[in-house]
Amino acid sequence: MKLEIVCAGIGGRGVLLASTILIETAVKAGMKAMASDEYGMSQRGGSVVSLVKIGDCNSPLIGRENADILLVFEESEFYRNLVFLKKGGLALINARKKVLSIKVEELLKVRRIDCYFVDADGIASNKGSIQASNMALLGYFANFGKGPYNAETIKKTIKEKTKPKLVEKNLEVFDAGYQAWVE
Amino acid sequence: MSDIKTEVMIGNYSIARGLVEAGLELAAAYPGTPSSEIIPGIIEFNRREGRHIHAEWSTNERCAFEVAFGAASTGKRAACMMKQVGLNVAFPSFLAAKRKTFKGGLVIICCDDPGPQSSQTEQDTRLIATLMGVPVFDPCSPSEAGDVAYYAMEYSYKHKIPVVVRPTHRVSHARENIELYEPGTRKVSLNEGIFSQSGERVAHIDALKNDIEGKVGDVRLNDNRSPLKNKFGIVASGMTFSIAVDVVSELNLSQKIPVYKVIKVNPIETKLFDFVESMERVLVLEETDSVLESAMHRGNKIFGRKNGYVPAAGELTYDIIRGVIERLADEAGLEMSGFRPDFSIEESLKEVTFTPRPPKLCAGCPHRSAFFAMKHTYPDAIFPGDIGCYTLGISMGAVDTCIDMGGSVNLASGFYNAFSQDEKFIPIIASIGDSTFFHAGLEPLYDARLTGKRFILVIMDNSTTAMTGMQPTPQTGITADGTKSHSIKIEDVVRAFGVDFLKIVDPYDIHLLIETLREAHTHLASTKNHLHKPAVIITRRECLLSAKTKPAVSSVEVDIEKDCIGCKRCVKYFDCPALVFDEEKRKATIDEGLCVKCGMCLVVCSMKRPSKKAKNR
Repeated sequence: MKLEIVCAGIGGRGVLLASTILIETAVKAGMKAMASDEYGMSQRGGSVVSLVKIGDCNSPLIGRENADILLVFEESEFYRNLVFLKKGGLALINARKKVLSIKVEELLKVRRIDCYFVDADGIASNKGSIQASNMALLGYFANFGKGPYNAETIKKTIKEKTKPKLVEKNLEVFDAGYQAWVE
Repeated sequence: MSDIKTEVMIGNYSIARGLVEAGLELAAAYPGTPSSEIIPGIIEFNRREGRHIHAEWSTNERCAFEVAFGAASTGKRAACMMKQVGLNVAFPSFLAAKRKTFKGGLVIICCDDPGPQSSQTEQDTRLIATLMGVPVFDPCSPSEAGDVAYYAMEYSYKHKIPVVVRPTHRVSHARENIELYEPGTRKVSLNEGIFSQSGERVAHIDALKNDIEGKVGDVRLNDNRSPLKNKFGIVASGMTFSIAVDVVSELNLSQKIPVYKVIKVNPIETKLFDFVESMERVLVLEETDSVLESAMHRGNKIFGRKNGYVPAAGELTYDIIRGVIERLADEAGLEMSGFRPDFSIEESLKEVTFTPRPPKLCAGCPHRSAFFAMKHTYPDAIFPGDIGCYTLGISMGAVDTCIDMGGSVNLASGFYNAFSQDEKFIPIIASIGDSTFFHAGLEPLYDARLTGKRFILVIMDNSTTAMTGMQPTPQTGITADGTKSHSIKIEDVVRAFGVDFLKIVDPYDIHLLIETLREAHTHLASTKNHLHKPAVIITRRECLLSAKTKPAVSSVEVDIEKDCIGCKRCVKYFDCPALVFDEEKRKATIDEGLCVKCGMCLVVCSMKRPSKKAKNR
């Protein structure tokens, strides 16, 4: 099996931590996994893309229209990275409003892309930490059961790989994101 | 397998691990993307393994190289690390090390930046090492980078020659699961050669022939004694090799196109030429110069950068490699599951406006306030800039040039003399960061002082080497492993040079900085004491990313929804990533996730007196 994931957002919003959790979870499941990060010259506020490939692969890089999953931590990065997503792919977008232009709506339909808007910022803010919105998005993502990723496996990695004093908050926000789908 | 400890890490940590396992005794480096994480990795593994490695941040790459060279001369296993342009700084000693024999081992890890993503050039260290006759290895993944680092140290120690390891940023910053061994127990051989469809290395061409022949009737891979040749083969090194294997697999060409991996770019193994002989067409994929391609000189069967099949410059991305392989496979008449891009994606996105995100200084960055003051005070000045985060001042119009480390001060000197000869006196305001000042700014400033150049030098002191990941500067007096040592103050150095106009200003005090810049210019304009030039202003405030105390929340709270008149001055002149202009509402909005509430942007607001409610704090 092979799963190609593009994590896109802006600096300071936890994109790299999210991809770390994805790669660690895959490794724990005994799979080959690689990641490649691109964060340009900005320390904060610039575009950040982290590519995660698990399974049968040699390089961590992802070609146009090859990604199975697009996790978007900042709305504008959705448009910038949509070209990576393959036909029939899955996109999760951290955004409050659920409005796309008609043309984009059509495109997603034609390309059979499953697109979900998750108010990850809102979920994280409700729990008192907007910085943890990456956890909310991961929580939502856990519902899809893609590859080695489910609530149990991801939470286990969060416990091990995030800062001890933030673990509790991270798990709380993750759970809230997970439940957001059920609601 | 299950007995071996593993850990997910970036390529640079894998390199550090390889060196530590190979018995490294001394490491020195100057931080530079993409090489900066190797020293911290060495310090970490040194601690974990309870070894006694000396690891240091040097003030520049030549210092790092010579410290390592000195240690290697006496018999130690030593290594130095730098980014590609760092090797230029260390070039005199690099050349000397090649000719002088040493008793120990000397490995130079020189990380390249195809693109470039975070450098002035994308120069290829493999080319420089090849030209100088120094062995150079090009690993294709984080795990191979660790193996190669280990191997390189053994190789250097055994042959008493310096060895260069050249990872690109895609290797240095990729992450994967890495196996950890007890120091001295890793078994490494360079896995060069042909890779078959399964991704396994095949010992030699005959083996691959057997491997392929049984399965695909029309493919025949022969040695050079036979007139029958394989239609198309690929030679690649570094990350481009790994991508090529993925692409060949995606296009269902694994059984038709053998991919040959080169690790040792200099000296090249002769079996590579046997491979080339046995192919009708050979595509060479390498970053960033045509090093392997030049070495092959096999006429018109070689396809690469020289005949335009591969772009002349720039990173070889997955899409570029896919395009080139498809084109050549098509020309060779190979059947494949071709990739057809769906351009309706771009078409649908044409009308969508989304925030462009050019690289910017962070929200609350003290450099931004300093640049704003510089540009505001003397909008028509010449602004020679330097290398670091503050190169990004270019988007505020406060950085006009960027050539190399320390270049701002020398260019300012040159500009001053050029205008002075023509009897013109215009403001020249150069900027340089604190780490860069120590790296390469001292001699230029001394020269400028000696000959009385009339320009303003702004030394932007944020107490760290921010762009490369917060390494300490000489002023912090902290060494690479965090121990306290002697601190060298920038102002002490500047004073020692005899600069008499020296002011230290908090860049958050924009009004004071504007005043100080005017004062400095007046000082320079005065014809008295012309030898006491240039003027130096140190803008001192800790980088927000490393500061222990965050900036005090601005005491002014602005009701931006109500007060903003949509003049865009803040977006245009202050260029903060937290300021976003909402075209629908015609008002500036603040990205709460990024804003640090420093309040600096209020200085540019047209509503000079925004209705404010003082915060009760």
